[in-house]
Amino acid sequence: MQLTRLQVLMVSTVVVCSIAAPWVLPTYYLYLLNLVLINIILALGLNILTGNSGQISLCHSSFMAIAAYAYTILNNDLHWPILLCAITAVGLASLGGALVGYPARRLGGIYLALATLAFLSLTQILIEEFPDITGGIRGLKIEKATFLGISTSSESLRFYVVAVACAFSLYVTINILRFPLGRAFDAIRTSPQAAQSLGIPVARIKLLAFTISAAYAGLAGVLFAMVVGFIDPVEFGVGASLRYITFIVVGGLGSIAGSIIGSIIFTLLPEGLRGVKEYSDLVYAVILLLSLVFLPNGLISLYQKLVPNKKIAKSN
Amino acid sequence: MTIAIALQLLISGLSVGSIYALVALALVIPFKASGILNFAQGEFVTVGAYSALVLTAFGLPYWIVLPSTISIGLIIGLVIERAIIRRIMSAPEFTLVIATFAIGLIIKSAIRLYWQDNLFAIENPLPFKTFKFSGIVINPQYLWVIGCTTTLVCCLAWFFKCSPMGKAMRAVSQSQDGARLMGIHVERVLMTSWGISTAIGALGGILLAPIIGINPEIGGLILKALVAAVIGGFTSLPGAFVGGLLLGLLETYSGAFFGSTLKNLIPFVMLVVFLLVKPYGLFGKAPLVRI
Repeated sequence: MQLTRLQVLMVSTVVVCSIAAPWVLPTYYLYLLNLVLINIILALGLNILTGNSGQISLCHSSFMAIAAYAYTILNNDLHWPILLCAITAVGLASLGGALVGYPARRLGGIYLALATLAFLSLTQILIEEFPDITGGIRGLKIEKATFLGISTSSESLRFYVVAVACAFSLYVTINILRFPLGRAFDAIRTSPQAAQSLGIPVARIKLLAFTISAAYAGLAGVLFAMVVGFIDPVEFGVGASLRYITFIVVGGLGSIAGSIIGSIIFTLLPEGLRGVKEYSDLVYAVILLLSLVFLPNGLISLYQKLVPNKKIAKSN
Repeated sequence: MTIAIALQLLISGLSVGSIYALVALALVIPFKASGILNFAQGEFVTVGAYSALVLTAFGLPYWIVLPSTISIGLIIGLVIERAIIRRIMSAPEFTLVIATFAIGLIIKSAIRLYWQDNLFAIENPLPFKTFKFSGIVINPQYLWVIGCTTTLVCCLAWFFKCSPMGKAMRAVSQSQDGARLMGIHVERVLMTSWGISTAIGALGGILLAPIIGINPEIGGLILKALVAAVIGGFTSLPGAFVGGLLLGLLETYSGAFFGSTLKNLIPFVMLVVFLLVKPYGLFGKAPLVRI
């Protein structure tokens, strides 16, 4: 990856800031920052699936739930080392993604939306019907564990883990989208038939998109369980899935910067609305609807309109 | 005795199935006309239930409440179609799915803000009490629901077969351009299809309200209706009706014999099986795609 001087400057500023963050920021703001980073990971994954490959998913919160519950149960009951728990949980989430992706190879549009909705409801019911393992609707508390000899209750450790995971996801995403795989994702969105005739295995690419995207959601789920310390099924319902879709739709579909902007705005917005907490669902939905009607390409399209892309200008 | 139980379950299964069938019909009608699946349909059921609650609180009799609830549903549907859906009609499918979802969430959270999560009840509108008929306990509510649905289905069948608007709707669902060339006002037809579907949703709400009570989560019903529509093959009205009844019966019988876990799981298992094996349902046809 060739970086311009401005990009190097930006990246190093962000790195320095995040190293300093746990010492500078108060606990609550650090917690918010953690949530922002976790949502960025999730939005990046969702954007690969929805923005780039053009597949609807209403069950990303379920992938998150699968990983969060797997992580919690492995950690609480079996006391596995934390890294192993996390890897297994992410693996299970991407297995879930493959499970949804398998029928998705043949389904499009609303049928896919239905299949993912069914998966979401199925996960919710399974969590609620087996309270012995999952704690049912009462939820589960995550017990403390140690990582590299430091307890996970240490805030700075948690922040560094989340920040590193987020940076890693960002790096992977940028590279995936520049690889032939990323081009194939874009191709099956634009026209599956044309992609097929160019030799792109559409079915396999769709399956892969679901699996990769679910792995991101799984990573976000594990980190969520670790940071919040408590999980219950309400956290992973349809509302949550719609919230994640709001991130990328308002930010900008198929754009990495869009995912980041959307996640930042919509994680911090509820804090601005804390006085009117019960309105938050309403506000979310209204913003989503307005953005779909009046700004279908997201906030990022405003920026692109204001600052014409230099590369395009040069090549012309 | 066992036959009595089976008949008992048959009646309650049919009545649950009728509600599913109603909402499934409400989903299929605008989908056929415009290709838009209204994920907010469940919330129109909620709107119907709450408007019945409010109107009953004013002391109006049931025979006024019923038509006015249906007209409230009709008007809301027309307004939403005109104000929002028409603007994004040509947008990609993803936008439409998410937009209707967002509309549903707006309605649900607005209702929840005003009435909170309380469970309300409206009185049984029928003058009859539960009665016993040759060993079977019959709740007249159930018969009322089944009767209303059957009447509605007959009306719809007539509407689509004979009335000019119904014919226009069928023409639009075949080809919008062709219909327009024949002098059909396509926008008006699409708006009407939305109005009819939300009116049916509101009817579902008022029928359901005395049986299960009123709270903001009634709209969750849409999941079952979607399953029913998939079973029937999304583009077929008789299919939606049959699918609804089938799902209701299957749920009731499996709940009675195998417990509530399986009862909750059955609709989604059916959905997955149908999507995998027969994605266009019992009555639907796979759409032809021109490249």
